[in-house]
Amino acid sequence: MKRTILLTSICVLWLSLVSGQTPTPATPPAATPAATPAASAPATPAPAPIMDADLKNVDVPKPEVRAKGDPDGALTGTASDVTVGDSKKGLTIGDLANQAGQNKIAINFVWTLITGFLVMFMQAGFAIVETGLCRAKNANHTMMMNFMVYGVGMLAYWLIGFSLQMGGVGALANLGGTPPLAAEHSITLFGKAFGLFGSNGFFLTQGNTYDVSVMVIFLFQMVFMDTALTIVTGSAAERWKFVAFLVSSFVLGAFIYPLFANWAWGGGWLATLGTNFGLGKGYADFAGSGVVHSVGGVSALALALIVGPRLGKYDRNGKPNAIVGHDIVIVLTGCFILAFGWFGFNPGSTLGASGNGSLRIGSVAVNTMLAGMAGGFGAMFYMWMRYSKPDASMSGNGLLAGLVAITAPSGFVNPVASVIIGLIAGVLVCLSVEFVDRVLKVDDPVGAISVHGANGLWGVISVGLFADGKSNYGGSWNGVNGGVTGLFYGDASQLVAQLIGVSTLIGLVFTMTFVANLAIDAVVGQRVAAKAELEGLDLPEMGQLGYPEFELKSWTANA
Amino acid sequence: MILIGILVTLLGFLLSLASLGLTTSVNARMAMVLAGIAISLFGILGLINRAYLKDAIWRKRA
Repeated sequence: MKRTILLTSICVLWLSLVSGQTPTPATPPAATPAATPAASAPATPAPAPIMDADLKNVDVPKPEVRAKGDPDGALTGTASDVTVGDSKKGLTIGDLANQAGQNKIAINFVWTLITGFLVMFMQAGFAIVETGLCRAKNANHTMMMNFMVYGVGMLAYWLIGFSLQMGGVGALANLGGTPPLAAEHSITLFGKAFGLFGSNGFFLTQGNTYDVSVMVIFLFQMVFMDTALTIVTGSAAERWKFVAFLVSSFVLGAFIYPLFANWAWGGGWLATLGTNFGLGKGYADFAGSGVVHSVGGVSALALALIVGPRLGKYDRNGKPNAIVGHDIVIVLTGCFILAFGWFGFNPGSTLGASGNGSLRIGSVAVNTMLAGMAGGFGAMFYMWMRYSKPDASMSGNGLLAGLVAITAPSGFVNPVASVIIGLIAGVLVCLSVEFVDRVLKVDDPVGAISVHGANGLWGVISVGLFADGKSNYGGSWNGVNGGVTGLFYGDASQLVAQLIGVSTLIGLVFTMTFVANLAIDAVVGQRVAAKAELEGLDLPEMGQLGYPEFELKSWTANA
Repeated sequence: MILIGILVTLLGFLLSLASLGLTTSVNARMAMVLAGIAISLFGILGLINRAYLKDAIWRKRA
């Protein structure tokens, strides 16, 4: 009986499909006209080419009409606004073509600059997240580190870092070509050129880099670099000497960050793993899960190891004590600011909104917001199930973890993959915080190692898993034709390229940061005196309390 | 101990890098890179961190 009903249903379905698709006898087959040889079709005259003379007849509003105002906007922006190269010739086709090209670059300049401004504002988000997660007695010190990292990082990057990172990047087509950035220093290894660092652009002057497109890419890359630097201040908060912070941040901004960024984004050896060794499209990191967040995260781990845990964080048996932050309101406000800024971070990394597949900015933005949402949910539900309460600060960290993880794959994956990546990141950040706190016994007051380090690495790996090959930024990525395609879509070699990036971050970038900070420790010392730490760093280090009206001394002295 | 940890961490990276020249097989490269990552993690978490934990500030307090 069931089989009869099933067969009947299939027959009905088939008939309905056939009847819907079969053309009625009165309708000629759709393919017939197309199958007719072109020679027998009625001859249609080829469109006449547009000549300069035709442009003389373009209707533009007369000055007296325009003088009456344009309330509906129909008269503003016409052929009369096109810049004319030779006033004697008047408007020509060449003028129109030049104007179209400049419009494309102008759109991309404005897009890249505005998204860069958004990323710059993330510094405020980081500052209040970190300060809120620290104790009130260190508020001035923590805010000041986050404030001055902007200036120190920028100085280092302007003097040295930008040149090392982008000095040999070559043509950035979306920004007009950036021809002065064409000096990459390479060595030969395994018979292939390994780009190590650029050498044009010191002081934004050397090597003819006083150039409009170079200025745009400098601003955009500078704020990314500063994001990596500010991550480190979180893991060493509440016991880091301010002088040591200044020196360490300068070294990171001038040398260590730019080197890895060159290898990944500046035409260096990681980017050429595809062209040189056939590994997918080379190391692919769309907006910096590896370049920005993992570099910041592994540096945060190096610093946290060197400065050691805060007094009172662990008892004599090594059991961790919770040291809660002083203001959850500004923590979550800061998370919102960061989520807002991330719309600059990821969509801005197309370096344009016109040409070369840049219209994927909508997809990148949606992937970003979905992963952040999933990360927040993942962390909230994990904490709720494990500790019976939906922890606020970990929910905020979950949001950030999702955003960090989607940063690398945001330009290469679909929305479903974004949610999966974000959800995993939200749980991963909770597990990582517990692991770092209880097993490693490394004190990280804001969870920077877990949010940016662990999830930055997860983001890099997720490109090698979830990239769907649908993205097409000008037809190739890192000089290899086609879209970035991960293991789940058929290209295992892309995952290998991503893992080599991970190995470089853990094995080489960590080592460079660790050794540099050991040297700084030997020269100026990284950690404040115990008395200053107990008192709170605001007065001993900064000379001023963050909250002078509060009566802090009576109880913070024993904290 | 810290110096050994640094060297082991760096060794892990060098093993991953060597995979590029020693083989063209994707699977073999993947295995070498994963081994390199594991070695680097051992260097950081198993050697460097352990060295710091031995002299941790919370062990010294009265």
